[in-house]
Amino acid sequence: MGPPDVRGMLLCHAGPHRLAFHAHEVAAIAMPEGRDAASARRAFHAPDGAARVLVSASGGAVGVDTLEIEAEPHPLLPAPPVAVAASGGSLRGFVLVQGRLWPLVGLVDFERFLRGLVEGE
Amino acid sequence: MAVHEPEARQSYLVFACGSSWYAVPAETAAEVVTFPELTRVPGAPAHLLGVFAHRGEVIPVVDMGLLVGGASQSSRRAVLVRLPRGTLALTASTVAGVSPVTGTLDPLGPTGVHVHLRGPAKSGPRDVAVIDPEGLFDHLSQGA
Repeated sequence: MGPPDVRGMLLCHAGPHRLAFHAHEVAAIAMPEGRDAASARRAFHAPDGAARVLVSASGGAVGVDTLEIEAEPHPLLPAPPVAVAASGGSLRGFVLVQGRLWPLVGLVDFERFLRGLVEGE
Repeated sequence: MAVHEPEARQSYLVFACGSSWYAVPAETAAEVVTFPELTRVPGAPAHLLGVFAHRGEVIPVVDMGLLVGGASQSSRRAVLVRLPRGTLALTASTVAGVSPVTGTLDPLGPTGVHVHLRGPAKSGPRDVAVIDPEGLFDHLSQGA
């Protein structure tokens, strides 16, 4: 039996780096102005910045630079424990889309992780 | 501190990362690969260079030079260390091959990754740090 498929994702970039989110975890996509969003760039040790904000149902917000909707199903490859630990447990696995790996993160957990990075500085 | 002779029957894959030489038990060294462009892992420390897909598995690449507090190596080659819980790719600028190791297997330091590097040991004329793969895997999986 192969890995389970993921259907319905937002494929995003934070700077040059790839990130994917489950579409069903995103309640709204907003402009960053006036929002207290955690920039996804922090996870890659880059200065904050965002062109769009992904808002969860609980109101948490993560800023990204680009996003596109991917409706096709893709297999979810398990994340190695080393990678899960690095991302504070927010990493769900990796999806192979367009011949590239995309880290799939949980929106709420990833936002919490990003805010923790700032508090830990 | 306990001093142990490495088991004479055990063979090691000996490889270099920069100017430092390492040895891993040969039975854990699955293959030597040239890895493709890597995908960065969110939140990853500098020594975790990224991941790549290999035969359906996502494999993390660890820069041994950065891990031990030294300089980064630009090598695109890595030794795949396969354990029951997963696989690690350890960057390697040179791979010397499989050979016996002599010496002791005491931790090279009291804390951090050095607990999982053992020695002093030699492979032929080379000073090598013998990697405890399970310990290194645990160390890295705890967010080190």
